Amino acid sequence: MAEPMKRWLRWAGMVLMLTALSGGMALAQSRVETQRVLPGEWQVEERVIPDNVSGWDHLWEEILIDITVIGVIFALVTFWFLFRYRRRDPDQEGAMPKLSVGQAVGWAVIPVFVFMADDFYLAAQGWQLWNDYRSVPEDRLEIRLESAMWTWDYTYPNGVKTFNELRVPAGKPVLLRMTSRDTIHSHWIPDYRVKEDSMPGRITYIWFMPKVPGEHVVTCAEYCGHLHSRMKGKLIVMAPEAFEAWYEAEGAKLQQAKLETTGGA
Amino acid sequence: MSDHAAVHEHAEEVSIWPAVISIGILFAVPFAFSFHFVYHNGLYAALSLGLGVPMIVMGIVGWVYEALHSEPVAEGLAPPAMGWFILAEALIFLSFFATYWVVRLGAPVWPPEGTVELPKLMPLVMTTVLVTSSFTIHFAEGRLAQGDRRGFINWLILSMLLGLAFISMSAYEWNHLLHEGFTPATNIFGTAFYTITGFHGAHVIVGLGIFTAMLLPALRGQVNEGLVKSGSLYWHFVDIIWFFVVSQVYFWV
Amino acid sequence: MAGVLREWLFTTDHKKVGILYLIGSVAAFAVAGIMALLMRAELSAPGPTITANPSQYNVWLYFHGAAMILGFQIPALTGFLANYLVPLQIGAKDVAFPRLNALSVWLFFAGIILALLTFVLPDPPDVMWTGYPPYSEITQGNTAFYSFTVLLLGFASILGGVNFLTTIAFMRAPGMGWNQLNIFTWSVFAAFILQLIFVPVLGTAVTMIMFDKYLGTNFFDPTQGGDVLIYQNLFWFYSHPAVYVIFLPFIGIVFDIVATFARNRIFNYKMVVYGGIGGILLLAGEVWIHHLYVTGMPDWLRVGQMVTTLMISVPVGLMFIGLVGTLYKGSITFNTPMLYALSVIFLMLIGGLTGIPLAVASIDINLSDSYFIPGHFHYVMAVAGTFAIFGGIYYLFPKMTGRMYNEKLGKTSFWITFVGVNLVFFPMMMAGLEGMPRRYWDYSQFPQVEGLHHLMTAGAVLVAIGFFLALVNWIQALFKGQPAGNNPWGSRSLEWTTASPPQHGNFPEIPMLSKDWSPYAYGSSQ
Ligand code: HEA
Ligand code: HEA
Ligand code: CUA
Ligand SMILES: [Cu+2]
Repeated sequence: MAEPMKRWLRWAGMVLMLTALSGGMALAQSRVETQRVLPGEWQVEERVIPDNVSGWDHLWEEILIDITVIGVIFALVTFWFLFRYRRRDPDQEGAMPKLSVGQAVGWAVIPVFVFMADDFYLAAQGWQLWNDYRSVPEDRLEIRLESAMWTWDYTYPNGVKTFNELRVPAGKPVLLRMTSRDTIHSHWIPDYRVKEDSMPGRITYIWFMPKVPGEHVVTCAEYCGHLHSRMKGKLIVMAPEAFEAWYEAEGAKLQQAKLETTGGA
Repeated sequence: MSDHAAVHEHAEEVSIWPAVISIGILFAVPFAFSFHFVYHNGLYAALSLGLGVPMIVMGIVGWVYEALHSEPVAEGLAPPAMGWFILAEALIFLSFFATYWVVRLGAPVWPPEGTVELPKLMPLVMTTVLVTSSFTIHFAEGRLAQGDRRGFINWLILSMLLGLAFISMSAYEWNHLLHEGFTPATNIFGTAFYTITGFHGAHVIVGLGIFTAMLLPALRGQVNEGLVKSGSLYWHFVDIIWFFVVSQVYFWV
Repeated sequence: MAGVLREWLFTTDHKKVGILYLIGSVAAFAVAGIMALLMRAELSAPGPTITANPSQYNVWLYFHGAAMILGFQIPALTGFLANYLVPLQIGAKDVAFPRLNALSVWLFFAGIILALLTFVLPDPPDVMWTGYPPYSEITQGNTAFYSFTVLLLGFASILGGVNFLTTIAFMRAPGMGWNQLNIFTWSVFAAFILQLIFVPVLGTAVTMIMFDKYLGTNFFDPTQGGDVLIYQNLFWFYSHPAVYVIFLPFIGIVFDIVATFARNRIFNYKMVVYGGIGGILLLAGEVWIHHLYVTGMPDWLRVGQMVTTLMISVPVGLMFIGLVGTLYKGSITFNTPMLYALSVIFLMLIGGLTGIPLAVASIDINLSDSYFIPGHFHYVMAVAGTFAIFGGIYYLFPKMTGRMYNEKLGKTSFWITFVGVNLVFFPMMMAGLEGMPRRYWDYSQFPQVEGLHHLMTAGAVLVAIGFFLALVNWIQALFKGQPAGNNPWGSRSLEWTTASPPQHGNFPEIPMLSKDWSPYAYGSSQ
């Protein structure tokens, strides 16, 4: 075989090997917490409702440390070189040593290995949190959301409708099934670290886990024209009893109104 | 080489045709379109067209003339350049086809409501015509390589006639379908059908334009081989795209 | 006078075409920058300030984004720098098709004219630089002008691509092999491959919205079987690679500047070219979904492209090692171009590394479309890219004009801008983390970000002063600068071996190169 050909093959082999290695490392590091079970058997273990908020905050911190370390290393090396190799005499020229083939390959392959390991590690962590974001607990309050320029319209299971005000009970996962009447909007609850677009012709969803009563901002994150910045809503997390009371009362009112319209007609 | 550079040293090269064509395009396309479709002002739209189209035609004629009378910076680079351009063109069609595949494969029912029966024989005839024209332009190129300019012109004219026949059939078919009430607005299939066949047809027309730019100087004895080679390359490409159009739009039901 | 004007406006000489590109793109930058100042003024306090009409703000923002990317950076990098430098660096007389080159620059001017009409049109476009349907189809604004601006500039890019790929592939000076190219020339080669493949897709996408809105087609109308997300996929299929169309040439010119002012060889040249540039080329087309993490694309796409997006850090990281490594055992001076180039390393580190959390799909769920995003991309593109372009202009100034700019003013303006940009764009990321979405004309529901916005507005004023001083410097030097000589930096690269400014035809004699010639032959060979 021709010499350059062989060199390339060695190269390729090395890259492949290191890729496999780094992949393995990343997999080992991401403690996969999900269980594999047969269909129908999945009540075996009480699933803890994942807390996306602290999950997000945790991963964010981890990534922040990761990128800060990388950035600081590169910056420090650069500063050191700038200081150490500043020109001392006008005729001075650089003296880059010539790299041997081994050095040249090493300087490419080893960083590839290190960077890739970091990437796969972050990807695995991200994937795990992603699964938490996408798998909704069974026991949940399911609310339909229709967005329009420039309002959020919520419909509860019993038919109660609210506008720009999402009332939910504390302690129960909430699922929003979303679509849109006109253009694309994006339902963002910064305090719960969730957002997803709502758009015509498609149904998307988000879910979150309200824990303590309180008020949170809901805001539109996808550009939707003139009043995009005024398309805000309120998420009101209520004590379960208070919510129940409100929900029943609104439901009754709705019933009443229905009776009246049919009765009057 | 070096005496060449010496000749050019002080003669700055200028050409006004690129500017003329660009300004022409500005009037003939964005301005005319906007006046007509956005601001509904027919008069201004017509004026823009009346200003833009002659500028473009003038620009192209002037350019071709200039190209025939000046020395290229480097010989023989037109065909590879056309290769790069065809890559870009192919991606346009790929985008349309990708869109078509996505909507089609995601549709609950196909064909969507309102679609009419597409003719089956006409596209076959059209295919034959276009494939034949690919061969004829290839023959024309061959004649040119042998130094037979008359033969080249004859085969070129034949190719142009075939191209014209193709366009006429396409126009006839559009007309027929539109009369049956199948329009671009009917449903997503109408949209895909007319844009894909329309873009392909537009490419055939551009190809015919290139052929014209080859033919007219050739009749007066001037042939630019780079133009001929790249023109015929372009024509083959348009031909190949047609196979996709036929198989994806007409015969995949 | 008329003769001179004719010679410049209708020129087919690549150097003059390049300078025409420079003038056009800096003009676009100035106007788009003024839009940014207006936006910053509006955002200096919550609630309506300088305009009570949100749509007015939206039009400014539309113009700012579209003009900065399509009218300033891409033309400045692949128009001005590529045109001016590439034929000189490969030792060619001109590009392969000079008239086609002139057509490119004129189409670019037509596009700029069209974009500027935004300010006099009855219903200016307000669709943001992304132009998403259905909004772009239901707005009162003139979406056709958005589409046509993109189409004209795109067509100019495609013709440029055809021209430059042919030029670099076939017109290198006798003896110049692929491994003897400047990193900048390589990066232009790669950038134009990306342009040729991806611009047509963008062109198709904007054509579709125009057809939908004005000709009644149904591409993005779900009630007729269309799908709103197709546009976003086509758009980002282009516009993600577009960020590398910007990144590659700007990091390329930084490589050349750093090598020149460190008088050093490129560290591990083949790694930079084949691993770095090649790797970016390979990955650029498989990551666009990271702009669609919150749109409800299928999970396998979102998770799959999270991995490819993260992996982009590998080739970019290799380029960083090459760049920082080039300083090793160098002989470094800190002239103005070098200051700009070095600052790109730091700014690009901040910008690139903040891309990493965005790449992680589950983290991006919270950050997407928040102010964090403008923070990320202003660092990586608006600041690092603009600094590289400004560094490039300073670097080439003596070559283009034969005169030297004012070093002291250059450094002063650099430091003012450097402080300014960090004041504007770091707080942006923090505002995003506080929950503020982007493209907001009013942020009164987020009282916690008011202080940050004060900082940004103050920073923007500094940035404007800094850039303005740079402009003053160039204009002054153009008329009053000291003669610079042919090779003021002592570079080994071919463009510095000819006269300043080079005559028509570039070299008195086409250079003949030996096998071990290199544009970075410092140290070893005198
Ligand atoms: C020049 C322009 C440019 C460049 C180069 C980049 C580079 C990158 N960008 Fe950025 N980006 C934009 C311009 C750019 N971006 C723009 C304009 C937008 C917004 C568009 C809009 O919506 O309007 C955007 C938006 C954007 C998003 C979408 C966010 C959202 O809307 O939700 C994402 C998500 O993944 C992203 C990621 C990245 C990544 C991973 C890189 C990587 O290429 C960065 C790689 C670099 C580094 C990582 C640093 C150096 C490397 C090392 C030191 C090696 C070691 C590092 C590791 C192992 C981690 N960008
Ligand atoms: C290369 C690209 C680029 C550059 C250089 C900039 C530069 C700047 N940008 Fe821009 N920006 C974008 C690309 C860029 N931006 C994009 C793509 C968006 C998203 C658009 C969208 O959402 O669709 C955006 C969005 C954006 C926003 C977000 C708005 C929102 O989401 O609501 C803001 C807010 O502050 C902002 C500010 C600025 C500022 C202060 C500068 C400053 O750095 C500008 C400084 C420059 C000048 C001030 C001009 C220089 C002056 C002269 C040359 C001389 C003066 C001239 C004369 C006297 C005639 N930009
Ligand atoms: Cu709704 Cu923005
Ligand atoms: Cu991207």
